[in-house]
Amino acid sequence: MCSEPFGKIAGPAEVRPIVAFHEVSKWYGNVIGLNKLTIRIPAGVTGLLGPNGAGKSTLLQLATGQLYPSQGTVHVLGQPVWNNPSLNRRIGLCPEQDAFYEWMTGWDFVYTSARLGGLGRADARDATGRTLDAVGMTRHKGRAIRGYSKGMRQRIKMAQALVHGPHVLFLDEPLAGTDPLARRALMDIIQRLGSEGKSVVVSSHVLHEVQSLTPNIILLNRGRLLAEGQVRQIRDLIDKHPHHIVLVCDGSRKLASRLVGWEDVEGIRMLPGGKALMVETRSPDAFYGRLPQLSLEDGTEIKEVYSDDDNLEAVFKYLVNK
Amino acid sequence: MNSAPALAQIEHSSAGRGLSLTALWTLYTFSLRQHRHGKRWIIMAVLMLLPAGLALLVRNTAHDVPGVALEFIFGFMLIPQALLPLVALIYASGIIQDEQEEQTITYLLIRPIPKWALYTMKLLATLTVAVGLTVVFTSLTYAVIYWGADSHGQNVLLRCLKASSIHATAVIAYCCLFGLMSLLARRILIVGILYIAIFEGLFANLAFGVRLLTVIYYTRLIAYRTLPFIVSTPFGKQDFAAEAWQLDVRTDPKLLEHPQFGTCLTVLFVGSLVLTALAAFLCSRREFYVKTAEKA
Amino acid sequence: MPIFDQGYQHWSGHLSGRAWRWLAVTRQGIRGGLKNRFLRYVLFAAWVPALALVLMLCMWGLLERRSSLASTFMQYYMALLQPGVVADPQHYRADIWRLSYGYFLEIELRFSMVLILLVGPNLISQDLRFNALPLYFSRPLRRIDYFLGKLGVILAFLGMVVIVPSIVAYVLGLLFSLDITIIRDTFGILLASVAYGLILTFSAGMLILALSALSRSSRYVALCWVGIWLVSGIVATVLQAVDSQQRRYVYYNKMTVARPNGRDFDNLSRAERDKQWRAYRQARERAAEEYRVAELGFSAHDWRPLVSYTENLSRLGQQLLGTDQTWKRLSLLDPDQDARDQLLATYMGPQYPWYWSAGVLTGLFGLSACVLNLSVKSLDRLK
Repeated sequence: MCSEPFGKIAGPAEVRPIVAFHEVSKWYGNVIGLNKLTIRIPAGVTGLLGPNGAGKSTLLQLATGQLYPSQGTVHVLGQPVWNNPSLNRRIGLCPEQDAFYEWMTGWDFVYTSARLGGLGRADARDATGRTLDAVGMTRHKGRAIRGYSKGMRQRIKMAQALVHGPHVLFLDEPLAGTDPLARRALMDIIQRLGSEGKSVVVSSHVLHEVQSLTPNIILLNRGRLLAEGQVRQIRDLIDKHPHHIVLVCDGSRKLASRLVGWEDVEGIRMLPGGKALMVETRSPDAFYGRLPQLSLEDGTEIKEVYSDDDNLEAVFKYLVNK
Repeated sequence: MNSAPALAQIEHSSAGRGLSLTALWTLYTFSLRQHRHGKRWIIMAVLMLLPAGLALLVRNTAHDVPGVALEFIFGFMLIPQALLPLVALIYASGIIQDEQEEQTITYLLIRPIPKWALYTMKLLATLTVAVGLTVVFTSLTYAVIYWGADSHGQNVLLRCLKASSIHATAVIAYCCLFGLMSLLARRILIVGILYIAIFEGLFANLAFGVRLLTVIYYTRLIAYRTLPFIVSTPFGKQDFAAEAWQLDVRTDPKLLEHPQFGTCLTVLFVGSLVLTALAAFLCSRREFYVKTAEKA
Repeated sequence: MPIFDQGYQHWSGHLSGRAWRWLAVTRQGIRGGLKNRFLRYVLFAAWVPALALVLMLCMWGLLERRSSLASTFMQYYMALLQPGVVADPQHYRADIWRLSYGYFLEIELRFSMVLILLVGPNLISQDLRFNALPLYFSRPLRRIDYFLGKLGVILAFLGMVVIVPSIVAYVLGLLFSLDITIIRDTFGILLASVAYGLILTFSAGMLILALSALSRSSRYVALCWVGIWLVSGIVATVLQAVDSQQRRYVYYNKMTVARPNGRDFDNLSRAERDKQWRAYRQARERAAEEYRVAELGFSAHDWRPLVSYTENLSRLGQQLLGTDQTWKRLSLLDPDQDARDQLLATYMGPQYPWYWSAGVLTGLFGLSACVLNLSVKSLDRLK
């Protein structure tokens, strides 16, 4: 039973976690990077979110064996990570820093990464060609990396993480600094990796894009685990903040006067323009259930209904700012 | 981007838990290629061309100085005292630190290569380059000194071979030493220069036990025992090496109070191995901070 | 309005003048430099020779006043100096001060090189590496302000170990002497040491700034500085060693050629053999005398020390302080000509014309200025 404030949805007992942190703390001198973190990341695509300094990069570096936990244990695919280089055959990392061997061509970089992963010449050649094709860099493979755009650099970074066919991928801010087209291309790659059965942990600040990649998220703040699980379920568990539901209609004041009598409605605010109102309720499902009946009884035409905060950004804001 | 094929699982032949020779060899060749790029080799070339360039200059201005004297001054004062330690410092200090500063060390740490092997392979590549440069430029210096000059019966080729071997041994020892230091000290350049100036420059000349800890002392003894630097003058024989290195050959002509040739070689090679093993051990235990805060 | 805006508020005060903008860059550089613990240790160690200088000057002042406190040091002085000097300390006051300052500045020259190695390489190379130049030049800061600011960092640190200790030692030496005529005798020494400190700062400062502007990696800049400081000195020593061997072998060759031997010599009459031997001995003595004179005089034409950067600075310091004249004066106390020559050969530095070194340093200064001008561009020309 975990002691996180918002709980998490437990999966079946036989589903082993891909990454398991148990009571992990990491400090740098007086600065605490991670504070008694216990999480189990299941297979599939998982989003790792948090503001700056939350500990996301520390978590990824611990998970890939670059750092040693000051306390606790880290296991990936059931094995301890620290000083276990053979595990790296099954792990891929796309690091956050924009650092390369600038003098190398894209092909050279990915091919060398494959060879460093222990692949033979022929295997490495095949894997490199396939991987570059998968990330859409075949056309630019002969150019030096110093001549690449930001999007190309991110794709080449992704390629070196994929070339040796890892089971688990850690992507640290893979969408950072990319233009919308490149971002879309990278997201397609990530989604395809998930559909092919690879486990991917994506760390990002771009909340709506992570939300479109995966419903499973891990939220960190100040080195501590804030929430873990699916966005909707986390949202439901945030008792402190009622849901905001926006109703767009012409007779908004009349509608408001009807809604104020409902017990589960905690507040109503008229939105600027006079054509919409926002309802606060702690029971959104019940509210949605009764709304069509109200509309029929009253004859009020409700043009649009949407939830203002049933998304990752709202969850993020609530949890981080509390 | 096309509708790319699935990234099938690679069934590579070296799957398993063992050390991959492929990976090690790739790391070695990759490190050699790294040394070719960047501006460092330009600085190295300028440094190592110095003795040959100076020798060329003085051949035109100092016709009367015998080749052996020039050989001693350039080959066994300038090169081992100043150039070899600097070359070793420049190369060996960057084995890991360069990758850390450029933030590319991550790409090596996430490969199935143990950290001790990572350090060892990179050191091996560094040694290959340093020794190669040393041999080439020592030979060039000898060529400049003796080309077209009277060798006074000396077997120049043999002397050149011996000098190159001695310098190679010294540069290996220095590289192993500075490689270890680079893992212990962040400001390796300052520490290295102070080490060269104080330890190798000052302590090596003191007739105390402390000189037994210096590389240059053993290098000098090996040179003295294998390469005579004796010239006849109207006032008798002049032993350049004994004078310059303060070796008391009058009371101890065979230098029995100093380590023998075999001992010197053993100390340098075993010392290099020990330093390498220690550095590899430290590397295997170390964390490499790339993005997150460095320890105070 | 009872409620005040907590948001951004425009500065409506008085902006400082253009003349002091470089000071902000200097202050930031000094703050950054002092964070380095190693630098603080070196600064601390660099003050030890200053303490020794202060001690020397103060003790000499006490000696002039025949103070009992100085009696302990009398033996030390007697061992180092001629009795005539210790017997009349006031007469030789200026000479002793000159030599003390000379040794102090020589030692501080080495400390300065280490300080520049610690502080200098990062000054511009870090700004290039992290692309900070647009941040500087997007402010109302000209390139000259930027360069002066960076040079100010070098001036601050070198001033701390060369100029400030010189002044403090002078003042304390005055106080311990309690003789107003000391100012007349020694004020020139103070001016010379401050001038030397400024020459050292500007020359070495411009050089390290130029090197720092050439590379984004401070490691290579530091290596270049080591090359200029140490390797140039070693090269100069090597060239001098070769030249010394050349003079010696010219002498050996003369000795070898002149020796009479062979069958023709044996067939000569006794008178003839005696004549040839006399000629040979005279030739040897002449050769020995020529060699001795050449050894004493070669220094006046020896260009080889110019290869060493620190040697050029030392030569200028030597000229400013007038230490050569001091040694010549002190050597006159010894009646023996050979002993005088030996003393001068041991203690006097290179004797080539000082303006050769001035030319080399000026040339390096000009080259550094060109490099800075070409490497650090204003905002509209930055990549």
